[in-house]
Amino acid sequence: MNSTEKLQPAVIIDTSGYAAAGEEIRKEAARLLEQKIVDAVVGYQAGRRTGSSQPVVITDPAQAEKLVFSPTCVNNLSLYLTKAKKEIRAKGKLAVVAKGCDLRALAGLMGESQLKREELVIIGVVCAGVHAAGVASGEPLTDATIAKKCRECSVHIPEGADLIVGKLPELPNLSPTEKELLDKLDAMTPAGRWSYWKEQFTRCIRCLACRQVCPFCYCEQCLCDRGRPQAVDTSPRPAGNMGWHIVRAMHLAGRCVGCAECERVCPMDIPLNLLNRKMAQELKGLYGHEAGLTPTEKGPLTSYDEKDDQSFIK
Amino acid sequence: MALTISEANLRLLIDLLIGAGKRVIGPKRVGEMTVYEPLLSGADLSPGTLPRRSAKEAFFPLSETILTYEKDKEGLKVTDVDTATFPETVLVGALPCDAAAPQVMDAVFSWDYKDEFYLERRRRTTIIGLSCTSADDSCFCTLVGLSPTETKGSDLFLTPLVGGGYSCQSISDRGGELLANYPHLFSETASVTPLPPARPEGGPVDLAKVKGWLEEHFEDEIWEEVADRCIGCGACAFLCPACHCFDIVDEGTEAKGVRRKNWDACAFGKFTNHASGHNPRDLQNKRYRNRFMHKFKYYDDKFGKTLCTGCGRCIRSCPVGIDIKGILEEIQKR
Repeated sequence: MNSTEKLQPAVIIDTSGYAAAGEEIRKEAARLLEQKIVDAVVGYQAGRRTGSSQPVVITDPAQAEKLVFSPTCVNNLSLYLTKAKKEIRAKGKLAVVAKGCDLRALAGLMGESQLKREELVIIGVVCAGVHAAGVASGEPLTDATIAKKCRECSVHIPEGADLIVGKLPELPNLSPTEKELLDKLDAMTPAGRWSYWKEQFTRCIRCLACRQVCPFCYCEQCLCDRGRPQAVDTSPRPAGNMGWHIVRAMHLAGRCVGCAECERVCPMDIPLNLLNRKMAQELKGLYGHEAGLTPTEKGPLTSYDEKDDQSFIK
Repeated sequence: MALTISEANLRLLIDLLIGAGKRVIGPKRVGEMTVYEPLLSGADLSPGTLPRRSAKEAFFPLSETILTYEKDKEGLKVTDVDTATFPETVLVGALPCDAAAPQVMDAVFSWDYKDEFYLERRRRTTIIGLSCTSADDSCFCTLVGLSPTETKGSDLFLTPLVGGGYSCQSISDRGGELLANYPHLFSETASVTPLPPARPEGGPVDLAKVKGWLEEHFEDEIWEEVADRCIGCGACAFLCPACHCFDIVDEGTEAKGVRRKNWDACAFGKFTNHASGHNPRDLQNKRYRNRFMHKFKYYDDKFGKTLCTGCGRCIRSCPVGIDIKGILEEIQKR
């Protein structure tokens, strides 16, 4: 932060209702486990560091008191319900704490037949926003510490959950920084964009945090892990890095719901959600499709319709 | 009397080393991030902030070529990498948790197989360590037997002073050589006041006790508790100054290509996947248990050292908040 920014007073985002939402989550989790409606609840618990939180899976109603909700509850917990996390699924019927953005991922996974609505209890939590990556866990939620995705959130209230806890406070108007960056990229020449992404991807160390945190990267055999034949170089070098990120963007087109977890977890600060968001824009333009809005959808790239635009066949 | 170097002279030293043909790696601002990178000049040095990635890359690059091959009518030609071409390097501004790590890794790279790629880079590198003056709630060097003023691993050690500049302590012959080669940059100062060192929270952990507990608790609920949440990425291992696992891959075509040594991570599902399809670490919590056991038991069993310097990068970078410091403290209590 430079000195001029420091002079601007931060716009505080009211999260005073989060504690009450946490209380309701604890009550509901205890009830669901006590009445054996579910076998496990996936939620958030406080971490060691002041204000921090982390995903937790609880199976005992007595543990429900651990559950919290705060601006550090950044994770999209729908990841834990996918087949990438078999050990969690093995616990039986699950309940999950979901913010509006997480709920979109759940809907997307249902559309892809990865989850069944009737086998899942969703504790929806009204959310005014969560922390951006790299913000110290004890910091209050302000226009300077809020995640980029939350600045443009349209799903503060997780409609369609089994129970919705929390209340939406009055929200300040925040500039859409991600959209602005995307517009800037859109205005570039293709060569300019190429060099922008080339430069971003030089930082990639192929830790695969982007893939591992993604609820939609649930393939049991990732194409990019294949050695024989090798589709994408696994070395963290320019060719393989570019290949990896482009393959991922393509595979997520029409599926990514914009939870931006990939971008949050990237230890090298690569703005990965821009790629996904651009693909989502394309899909909306071409097919009028937005991922994760209803749980019964079939994505345009996984279905066939005779009325689809065929003009690209020449 | 203390030997000191001014901020300007430290930057000049870097310029002179670069001028003498050395590769100088140090903390550098790149965008919003600080990383250890080759410095183009002394002005590039951005000391005092813990870089995002560790300094191990000076010896153990993210990806390196170990041979190249070419096949034509006459047959297959394999060319080794000539380690004599590795650059003479000075790593400057390494904080104690980074400076101490190579000595720990030396043990494994010079064990039954001598890894010439790593060892030759080590032989050609001088480390100028820097005392640490700021800690956050992820730092825990003091829990694993180190400290913000630890000189272990450094050849020359700098301590930032009130009013600017550094006091210098020669730790090894190499450090002494640096002082002898550039005497005009250093001066004797009558009295110096060091900046207060960082104070990471938490007292030392009894590592022998932790190891003893681990020996008895290979099977324990704690692994599920702390690591069922692990998502299996390599952020912790890749940012760690001491993690050293690597994979070897051939990339190219049948006619021409390279064999590369790339970082690997025990959190990856494929890390222990056997050709048969069997995977002895079939669940994520077992993979995390291995990471923890390797750092605080197996490495100690083999080499008498702890494979962790408490830099806290794994805590800061973990997508799901796995906190090795908290786990150490928890085990200490048991």
